[in-house]
Amino acid sequence: MSQTSNLTVVENATCTFCGCVCDDIELHADGERIVQAKMACSLGKSWFLNHTAERLYPDALIDGREATLDDAVEAAAEYLHAANMPLVYGLSNTTCEAQREAVALAESIGGVVDSHTSL
Amino acid sequence: MGGKVSCTLGEVTNRADFIIFWGGNPAECHPRHFTKYSLTPKGRFVPDGRKGRTAVLVDIRETPSAKAADIFLQLRPSKDFEVLTTLRALIKDQRVDPAAVAETGLTLEQLQDLVDRMKKARFGAMFFGMGLSMTRGKHMNSGALLNLAAEMNAFTKFVCMPMRGHGNVTGADVVLRYTTGYPFGVNLSRGYPRYNPGEFSTVDLLVRGDNDAAFILGADPGATMPQPAIEHLASIPTIVLDPKVTHTSRLSRVHITTAVTGVSAPGTAYRMDEIPLPLAPALRSPYPTDEEVVRRIRRAVARRPAWQPVDENVRSAIA
Repeated sequence: MSQTSNLTVVENATCTFCGCVCDDIELHADGERIVQAKMACSLGKSWFLNHTAERLYPDALIDGREATLDDAVEAAAEYLHAANMPLVYGLSNTTCEAQREAVALAESIGGVVDSHTSL
Repeated sequence: MGGKVSCTLGEVTNRADFIIFWGGNPAECHPRHFTKYSLTPKGRFVPDGRKGRTAVLVDIRETPSAKAADIFLQLRPSKDFEVLTTLRALIKDQRVDPAAVAETGLTLEQLQDLVDRMKKARFGAMFFGMGLSMTRGKHMNSGALLNLAAEMNAFTKFVCMPMRGHGNVTGADVVLRYTTGYPFGVNLSRGYPRYNPGEFSTVDLLVRGDNDAAFILGADPGATMPQPAIEHLASIPTIVLDPKVTHTSRLSRVHITTAVTGVSAPGTAYRMDEIPLPLAPALRSPYPTDEEVVRRIRRAVARRPAWQPVDENVRSAIA
């Protein structure tokens, strides 16, 4: 990571939009958004340029109402703990580290764990 | 996918002189696949780059990827399995019925020509997309192509791999495999992993109404799943982790906003050839990562009384 004028430059960044997972992207970012994604294809560019670090959404919602992260974590744990056959699903647009946590969660609640592969 | 004959994309770049794309449209869905890995780059044993490779596209319609291919084979919809079975017979010089072949939309001459070229290749690579795996025959089609690749190794080197979409879906397969022994649709409700696609796959579970809670991350099933599955998700406590408030968030009891994978969340993602790559986030998110939130929920669950599978004999003895 290097600093040029006000922009942070990240070399060899990795794009996770599609399964090519290109790892040669050069990202130029100010504190809040990525302004340039060199080497990225059209899909990768829109992926990087459309995700920002702005606070656009509430930390959490419970029944559609804004809530704190702590309350949402407790509510999630309560629902999942109470369920007999909970489902843990998705896992595509996330990291392997989060996937491992999700498998451990599925085991601790005695649920099913599944991904987009089954579609 | 046990027994899959595959390789890394780097090997494709450096060795493959014959490439088949089946039921996929990389020109639009994986835009850099041709230029970074499979067609145009010069490789150690393919010094002429694109000129040193033959590209074949097999699909039911002429997509923009057809322009990049030397040979385009247009088959009738839902005839993939029949064509693959014919190819598997032809490579072994078995007789096939030209009339039956004609029903696929291709001629016996076209398929024989393809087989001759495949056998003359030094290193063949086959990539398949959802046009193969999501059409009639589904995983049987993928299996037929993977078998064709394996059987071609009696004549020359051949490999095969799926063109995966969705960022780190390959990572989900790998992580589930090394943690539970199975790649997807794993049921842990008896305290040990059981695998049975069709029974423990999400759409089937939801349409049958088997689940009484759902935890979703890295996906938006509220926008993509069949309506009966969505209706079931809306009727049970659903918890979703996502960087945005999505369709799924709106039908969920709990939504938690998380950082964006690879943009503001660090970690690892697997490429379609199962090579793990580190992410290099350029932004710092005001939200926690998926990893942190799932860990916190797991710890909150762990503070509650332990869940245990109850043996039926024990249950009746207690009663």
